[in-house]
Formats: sequence, structure tokens, C-alpha cells
Amino acid sequence: MKYIKQSLFESVVTKSVTASFAVSTALFASAAMADIKVGFIGSLSSDTGLSTLRGAEIAIEELNAAGGVMDGQKITLVKADTGEDVTEGIKAYEYLAESEEVDFIISGSIDDVSLGWLPRMQEFRIPTLDTWTSYIGIIDMVVEDREAMAPYFMNIASDEALATLYINFGKDVLKDKMGFNSVVILAEDTAFGEAITGLVTEALAPVAGIEVADIITYDINTVDFAPIFSKAQDSGADFIYQVSSVNSQVMSSQYVKLQVPMAMTGVNVSALGLEYWEDTGGAGGGISTLSPVPSVGFELDPVSQAFVDTYQEKYDSRPVVPHFNGFNAYHGLKQAMAAAEAAGGFEAEAWSQEMLKQDLVLEKDGKLWLRYGFWGYDEVEEVTNRTYPHNARFDLTAPYDDAQPSMVVIQWMEDGKPGVVYPPEYATADFSLPSWVPAK
Amino acid sequence: MNLRWYHFLLWAAFAATLMLMPELVSKGTLRTMIFACYLAIFAVSWDLLSGRTGYISFGHPFLIGIGAYTTAILSKRFDVPLELSIPIAVVVTMIGGLIVLLPALRIKGSYFALVTLAYMELIYQLTQVVRPDLTGGTRGISGIETLTRGAVNGYYLAATLLIILTIFSWALMRTRIGTALWAIGMNEESVRGSGLSTTKLKCFAFLASAFVAGLGGAFYVHYLGSIAPRALFDINFLFTILVAVLIGGAGTIIGPVMGAFFLVFLLEWLRPWLPGAERYFIYGLIALVIYMYEPKGIIRIFSNLLGKLRGANK
Repeated sequence: MKYIKQSLFESVVTKSVTASFAVSTALFASAAMADIKVGFIGSLSSDTGLSTLRGAEIAIEELNAAGGVMDGQKITLVKADTGEDVTEGIKAYEYLAESEEVDFIISGSIDDVSLGWLPRMQEFRIPTLDTWTSYIGIIDMVVEDREAMAPYFMNIASDEALATLYINFGKDVLKDKMGFNSVVILAEDTAFGEAITGLVTEALAPVAGIEVADIITYDINTVDFAPIFSKAQDSGADFIYQVSSVNSQVMSSQYVKLQVPMAMTGVNVSALGLEYWEDTGGAGGGISTLSPVPSVGFELDPVSQAFVDTYQEKYDSRPVVPHFNGFNAYHGLKQAMAAAEAAGGFEAEAWSQEMLKQDLVLEKDGKLWLRYGFWGYDEVEEVTNRTYPHNARFDLTAPYDDAQPSMVVIQWMEDGKPGVVYPPEYATADFSLPSWVPAK
Repeated sequence: MNLRWYHFLLWAAFAATLMLMPELVSKGTLRTMIFACYLAIFAVSWDLLSGRTGYISFGHPFLIGIGAYTTAILSKRFDVPLELSIPIAVVVTMIGGLIVLLPALRIKGSYFALVTLAYMELIYQLTQVVRPDLTGGTRGISGIETLTRGAVNGYYLAATLLIILTIFSWALMRTRIGTALWAIGMNEESVRGSGLSTTKLKCFAFLASAFVAGLGGAFYVHYLGSIAPRALFDINFLFTILVAVLIGGAGTIIGPVMGAFFLVFLLEWLRPWLPGAERYFIYGLIALVIYMYEPKGIIRIFSNLLGKLRGANK
């Protein structure tokens, strides 16, 4: 018996050592071949985080298949999970910077997580591209401290730009077409909820002529929305403005199941993915949401479509189609490498100058459809009359011939199909009220 | 205080080991050690109160957060120099400690734990709605002045703070007051019956714990350079502190320090192989196994091993 135990023990030890040696050799070999290290920072358990990660993975595969970058150097990817936790985000950034010594970081972090690791980015000065955070306060930091923020780029339109165009939707569709005069805001108690609520309340009344009747803040763990919808109805408002980035499908499915007799639109992050219909058990019809582009239901140009085709061939788990930030990561990573190529490396200042010059125009049927470029330091956006240095280039004025709109409004129809309902230049469907909501 | 020569020797060895680390490990490992040092400080501060008196506080992030937010707001919003903002933060945290003390005068056990949990939830909500222009609301404050730059400097600061606070706490617990606090944890009525004022003793424990938590919180935020309510007033943060104490060994000074280092390093070592949430599963599993194997923590495992070695040598 002792002999058997000993043999088993020896066998396990021998196999473990052999396996460890094989793994170490493989790791060492891959590390030896890798010349450029890209770090991913974000949530590995959310659809949005995975969208950024997978977009980056595909871009890296394509760049490596094309012979690598900067004199044929291959790119490898290192992942650091934030779990959408602020402190974990700081640890993750430190891990990428000092343990892995990456050259470039691509982020799928949410607002407060990005704000958490920003001081580390300033310290390490690693070129970093944010594909999901849209907080205008970070762009303000670029305005205020150009040198410290040189390594930072955000290739999603900032939330101020998103909200500005959304206000136009409020005026053109909700006010003029639907005849709505007042709104009740149902906002989750998160940084995102606070920011969007602030932007909407400040602009809806003066610009779109829609009064804010009430603001109801709810906890993100809420499972029963019936009392909240009752309170919303009691406010006497014409429609509900939803601000929800966490478990949004719970609120919208209950809205449908309870047949709340008020229209509801706003920001519903779960509705940005194709899984939304399944997540709501088919009870998601009528819900509309603001979405950065490209969104579900958004017609794609040939280049973006090819990216989606590759994505679907490669991955068979959710998200079945990348969210907008997956496109941002795919194009943004290629632009970051092109900038490094032009700058001769990843030295923050030189790379930053070259990154500002990156400009990818994607056309569809001969028309500018999407544009991946950045605002310069001195360029003033005409509608908001301010600068957005290092922010994704966007256009707030029809016919959107300088860049794509900062956002589109999409709506899930009651047959389970999503469509873009605003702006008209990108629309594939008409905005409509759910069948149980009486017209005003 | 019943001091022996080997106490000084052990503390000197502890301090020397920590101070030598920058010569021995990489910068990446130092970054991990910085977080371990701060978690150890928070764990020691929790143990000063709950590990001794038996008043299990679930509101400890409340105290750490007060220290962190006070100095962050003073330095960022009012340009108060850090030499002033940090001491003020510690004083404010000690006042916060007295607020946590109030329910302890009337209730104990699980009721006390739940009330203190409410403190954390309350301040989580307050930081978001009361003067968000100062607190930064839900997004918190970024760009807070840091005391040091670089892994080595950050580590020396954190390790020095840890050494000072652990020696302070250890010395405190070896006084007669420390013994009385132990006695409260075992039988509060007997302590009161012996003529000692348990109110004063508890007040002292809460103040001492708040002092360590406030100082740790203040230095922590000036290491991070940013602060957000979700990072501090969070149940996961609370559990991390509690697990560090329990896994290391409650009612001791070195136990929570060992627990903190073990937990932080375990998670970081798992990161390259399990970058996603799976490492938390392994972390939880290992913590559970250790706790089930030896409820008195890693420190007891070490002392048992030491005992066996001594026995073998005899």
C-alpha cells in the first residue's frame, strides 16, 4: 500500500514537473517571440468588456498575419480583469505596467474604474485607449493638462456629445412628433446614472421644451419595479426617461409585462446587445435607447461588416455581435499601432502626436458612414462651442458629412427586431409607441 | 508591559525584512506589497476593536472612508497642504469612531454588527448626494495629490506606516488597557463588576481603531490618487478586511498582517493564469479550506509548526 502511494505520488510529481516545464517553455518561447505587448484592462465577465477584448484580439491577429508592425514585430495580448471594481482597476493597471511591462493599453473600463487608474496612466505614461468610458470630465482633464494626459485617447463620443444629440431627438421626435411636454426620469444610483441625468435635466427643458416632472433614483439591485412605475405614473409626466446601465433588462421586461401605460425611452445598456431579446424572455418590445454607433440594427459599411463576420466565425459565446466598443477596439488598436509605427515607438508624446493624425473614413454606398479619428486641441465643435481633444470625432449636425453622429436612437420592435429610429439619415425604422401605450 | 529581548529582536527582524524587499523583488511585486500593507493596516485597525472587545463592526469602511475622503476633499478642493489635511483627517475619523461607539453603548452582538453596516450604507449614499461638488458624487475624485511616485517610494511609505502602526497596536495591547479590552470581549459584565468603566474602555478601543483606520485611509488615498464611493463603502472591501483578519488570526497583531499579505498575493499570483473572475473562486476556496483547517488562522498554523519543530529538536 505504501509502495502504491509512493508510486502514485512520484508519478504525480513527475507529471507535474514535466507539465510545468512544458508550460514554462511554451510561455518563454511565446514571450521571446513577442516584441510588442498590448494590455487589455476591463471586465472579463461583461458583454461590453468582452466586446473590447475580442475587438482587440481580432485586430492583433490581423496585424500579426500581415507580418506584424514596426519592422515585423509580433503583438501579444495580456489581460487584466477589473471586475468593474475601482481598486481592482488600479491593481490591474499596475500589473500591466510593472509586472507585464506592456507598451500599450486598451481599455474596456467603465467611468469610475477609468478615473481610478488615470493617475497610474499619468505616472507610467503608457499610451492608453479607452473604448467604453465616455465621461466628459476626462476630456476636460486633457484640456486642462495636455502634457499629463498626452497618452490618453477616448474613441467613443463623450457623454456630453451623446446627450447633446439626444436632446435633438427629444425635440424632433418626442416633443414635435409625439407631443410630449414632460418627463419623469428613472435613473440608477451609479456614476453613469448621475451623469446622464444631469446632462438630460440641464438641456431637455431649455432646448427641447420638455419639463422634468420628477427624478426617481433606484438601486441597481432592484427586482420589483412596480412601485417605481406607479410613482412615475403619479408624477403626471408624459413619458419615462430611463437611465440604466446595470441589469437594465429587468426594468424593461417589467415595463413590458406590467404594460405601463406611458412611453419609455432613454439609455438602456442591455438593449445595446443582440442578446437583449433573449435576456428579457421576449418581453422587450417597444423599448428604445440611445446608443453610441455602431449599434444593433445599425447598417454596417463593408469594413465593419467584415469585422463582424470574422468575429462571429471566431466566437460562439455572447455577445454574438460586438457592442460599439468592440468596433472601437478593433479600429482603435490598429490606429494605435499605426501611430507607434509613425512615431517610432510608444514614447507618450510622440505617439500622441501621431495618434491625433489617425483618420479612418469608412464609406457606405459612396457616403461617409463611420469615421475613426480624433478632435485636435484647437478644434472647436460648432454646436457645443467647445473643444474635445483626444475624443473620438463626431458630428452633431445633419447631414453628418464630417463624421458619424455621436449617437443613434434604436428601438426594439414588438416582433423582436431592432432598428435605428434617429437620426433620419441613419434610420432603418420609425419610432413608435408600444401597442399598449395610448397616443397623446 | 512585560517586554522581553526577543520582542525587540522579532520586531526588528519584521521591519528589516519589509525594508529589504525593494532590493529583493520586482517593482510589480512591490506594487502588490503596497496594497498588502494598506490592507494589513485596515485589518489591524479592525482587529484592535472587534478582535479584542468582541464588538464585530461591519462599518469599518465607514471609518477608513472618512479619513480618505476628508484629506482628499481638503487637499483637492481647498488646497490644504497634506501635512495638515492628513492629521485633520485622522481627527475627523476619530470623531467618526465615537459615532460608531454610540450604538455599542446600548446593543451588542449581531445587532451591533448590523447597525454598523448601516453606517457604511448611509455614508455611501451621502457621499453621492450631499455636496457632490466636493465629494465628486458617484464618480468620486481623481487627480488627488500623491505623497510619492514610483513603486519603491510608495512601498517604503506603506511599509513604514505598517511597521509603526503594528508596533503601536502591539504595544497598546500589552498595556493593562489592552488586557481590559480582552476581558470585555470575554465577559463584559465581569469587567463592569470589577469596578472598571466599560464605557471608557470601549471608547478607548473605538478611538484607537479609528486612529489607525483614519491614518491608513488618508495615506491610502494619497497613494491611489483617486477615490470613489464604490471603492471604499463597499461590502466586498469590508469582506476583504474581515477575511484577512480571520484567515490570518483574529486577536493578534501579526495574524491580520499575514492574512492581508496572503490574500493580496494569492489573488495577484493567480492573475496570469486566471485573469477573470475564476481566481476569486480559487481565492474563496483556499480561504475556506484554511479557515476550516485552522479557525485561529495562519498564525496558529505557524506557531503549531514551530512547536513541532521545537519538539523534534528536544
